[in-house]
This record gives sequence, structure tokens and C-alpha cells, in this order.
Amino acid sequence: MTTPGAAPAGIVIETRVREEVERALLRNVKGLEYLSAGAPEMGLTPKDVVYARGTLRLYHYRPLAPEVYRVPVLLVMSLVSKAYILDLTPGQSFIEFLLRQGYDVYMIDWGVPRPADKRLRLEDYVLDFIPDCLERIRRDSGEPDVSMIGYCMGGLLAVLYEALHPDGPVKNLACFTTPVNFEGMTLFSQWTDKRYFDVDRIVDSLGNVPPELMYASFEMLKPAARLAGQVRLWDNMWNDDFVKGYRMFDRWAADQIPFPGECFRQTVKELMWENRLYKNELVLGGRPVVLERITVPFLHVMAEHDHIVPYASAKDLVAMIGSADKKELLLKGGHVSLVAGPNASRRLWPQLDIWLSGRSV
Amino acid sequence: MAEPASPIPDPVAAWRAWISQSEQQWNALLNQAMGSDQYSQLMGRMMETYVTMQKNMAESMSRYLGALNMPTRTDILTLGDRLAMIEDRLAGIERMLSAAGTSAAPTDRAPAAAMRPPRTKQPASGAGTETAPAGECRGT
Repeated sequence: MTTPGAAPAGIVIETRVREEVERALLRNVKGLEYLSAGAPEMGLTPKDVVYARGTLRLYHYRPLAPEVYRVPVLLVMSLVSKAYILDLTPGQSFIEFLLRQGYDVYMIDWGVPRPADKRLRLEDYVLDFIPDCLERIRRDSGEPDVSMIGYCMGGLLAVLYEALHPDGPVKNLACFTTPVNFEGMTLFSQWTDKRYFDVDRIVDSLGNVPPELMYASFEMLKPAARLAGQVRLWDNMWNDDFVKGYRMFDRWAADQIPFPGECFRQTVKELMWENRLYKNELVLGGRPVVLERITVPFLHVMAEHDHIVPYASAKDLVAMIGSADKKELLLKGGHVSLVAGPNASRRLWPQLDIWLSGRSV
Repeated sequence: MAEPASPIPDPVAAWRAWISQSEQQWNALLNQAMGSDQYSQLMGRMMETYVTMQKNMAESMSRYLGALNMPTRTDILTLGDRLAMIEDRLAGIERMLSAAGTSAAPTDRAPAAAMRPPRTKQPASGAGTETAPAGECRGT
């Protein structure tokens, strides 16, 4: 018996077969295009370098709205990945979205650490580079206040900064997928078990941690994902949008950068092994880091299926912050799809705009 | 309105579902194995081997380059260190000059800054209600 409204079985099969044959042909044609195409262009939103120091670049993005909110926004990127994930391609760029919504956007791009940067510690980022950039923004924009947004380890740097500078220029603080309880990073904790993982030998011998090691450790968190991803790519080779998205994310994921050696040593010993931030025992530059001292409006957004910063490692952050005006959101998606791509444009971006716009005047 | 259900099972859709399911199962299985003590031990040994190999290779390469009267990686890195120190000092001088009231900012920023839009934007009415699409988010 046929369901009312459904096409007869013969027609359904014929349509389906025709569709699959067409897709198979397209796969071959577009597969050849895929193999011969160059890397996709990303990070194209027009910007100026406001400040350069070593590999650090402080960018100011050119406004795209006729008027902007009073408070400029500073994006703080992670130390372990390239900044263009926040500026993928027109229509899928978080930065472009912020500009169109009327924000005045700056971004700290840490660049690719050079061998000499192996000496950089968390103190350099939190007590020197970020305050320096905030001062540059204050002078460049003429505004005394700044809203800070940190992604992943950039969020960690942002909360460390704010905890140590509660009277600084930060007016609002938003973090995306920021770990605070490192015991919740189960696999990373297991792999850096102090009985077997000789972090001193690695840093003393190699200086910065090579990008291939960082890439391999992220890949190991989802060992079957690469193969399944390639099968999906082949299946969707006829679909230009899918292929474009795949190429962008794949390029970004493979485009890892070295982790500054001393900072890695500190992260492993103080955060992974001793969990000092969570225990309020972390000391930077002789000053204790107490997250309760953060009193500015605070937003933390986490991803339900985040395999890099699992929910267990991030969920306690809001509770540890001292702000009266604080909020946490758990959105659908993974570590990267939370901030970039079509799902981010429907979930995270509008949520952030709703939260930040009223606090940016 | 939802599409009427097809009377015929779609083998391609079933295959796609199987791929996703298999991926999740393999990830869970391998993560379980990688979360063991033995795996951490193995990783530790592999890292040790990797570091030793890198070190030995760097040492022998350094000897070869020395014999060929060419600069080694260490020589280049030393130069890089010195350049970085010069950059840091320049940045420090620039900060001091700026603090003293002398603008050390690049001059080409000035016209761009003059063309900036006014900071008068107000949030649209309804901002601050902070609601999320149904089923998309959980907030506290």
C-alpha cells in the first residue's frame, strides 16, 4: 500500500537512480578539479596592522557599518592555531559578521612562533603582550573601554589577564570553549601523565613543540574522523558548497603552528599536572590568579560535542568568575563548528551579538 | 510541511548513517584504548625516541655544516635571538616615546582613523532579551 501523497515506487526509484548517476558523473569531474585546485583563500576581510611586535600583529578591521558601537572589540586568538578560523570567507566570517553588526573590531594574531620564542611564558602574554595591545587600542580608538573575546586558549589568556587586571580597560569579557579544570581534559591528561611524559626533555631538546606533534595529538582525539571525513568528501564531491567548506576547515586543521616551549612546559606542569588554575593556586609574575576577581560582565559559550575542550573541563568557569552579570551557554556543535561555518552563523554569532550589543554603548 | 515518507528504503541514506555510526563507534573504541596506562607509556617512549632522533640528527647535521664551512642552525638561531632582542628594545623605546606623548604610530593610520564611522550605534530594540533558538542552546 502506498502512503497518501507519496510518489509511486517505480518513479521514486527511477528519480533516485538518476540522481545518483548524475552525482557519480559530477564527482568525477569535480574530483579532478579538487585535485588540481589551489588552497582556498581565507582571512580576506580588509584590515590594517595597528601594531607589530615580534610575530605578534594587532589588526584593526576596516568598519563595514555606517556607525559603530562605542566600545571596540578585541579578539584574542589561541596560541596553537591560526587566527583565520575567525575570518574564513565572505559570508562565513565571524569578523565580517561583527563588522556588519556595527562593532569596531581588533584582533591579536600571535603569528607563527620563531625558534627564539621558545622562551615565552604565560606571563609574557598575560602581563606584557595583552596589556600592550589594549593600550594601543585605547590610543587608536580613543575609547577607554574594550570588550574582549577569547577563543579556546585565547579565552584562557583573556581570563588570566582579566583576573590580574580587574581595574583595566576591559568592559565585557566573552570566552568561547575555554578550559579551566584540566582534569576534565581526560585524554590530554592521560597522554601527558607525569610518569611517562618528560616535558622537560621535550622542551629542552626541541625548543618549541613542533606543529606536527600538535597536529597528531589533535587528530588522535578523533582517530576515525579523517577517514570518515574523506569518505564524506567523496560522497559530496558534486556539492560545491560542501567541498568549499571541507577544504577551508581541512586547510586550517592541518595548518598547525608550533607551541612556544616554555609556555608548553608551564601549561603541562602547572595546568595539566597540578590543575593550579582550578585550585586558585596559579601564580604569574609573583601574583596569584584568582578568577573571582573578575567582575566585568562575563559570557562563556561551550559546544556540546567539543572533543578538544570537553564540557567537563569548561563547565566550572562561570561559577569561578566573580561577576554579578555572568552567563553561560551550551550550544550544539563541536570545537570548531561553534565559531566558524554555517552553523556558527545561526547559533553562536547572533547569541553573542544579543549579549554584547547592549553592553557596547 | 514534512515530505511524505518514501515507500522504498534508501540504501544511500542507510550507507551514510552507517558511516556516521561507524565513525562514532571507532572513535569511542580507540579513545578507550588510548586512555589506558599502557598507551600513555607507549606515547612516552615514542616521544623519547622522537626527541632523541631529532637531537642526533641536529648534531650530525651541525657537524657536516661545520665541516663545509657553512652556518649551522644554531648560528642562524643565535642571529634570530639577537634580532628579536633588537625588536624588543625598539618596541620598548617606542612605548617610552608614546608614553612621553610623542606619537610613534605609523603616519598612514591617520587618514584611515579620520574616515572612521561615528561611535553612535545603539542596540536594536529587543537586544538584551538574550533568547536562543529552541533546542539549539542551554543557558544558565
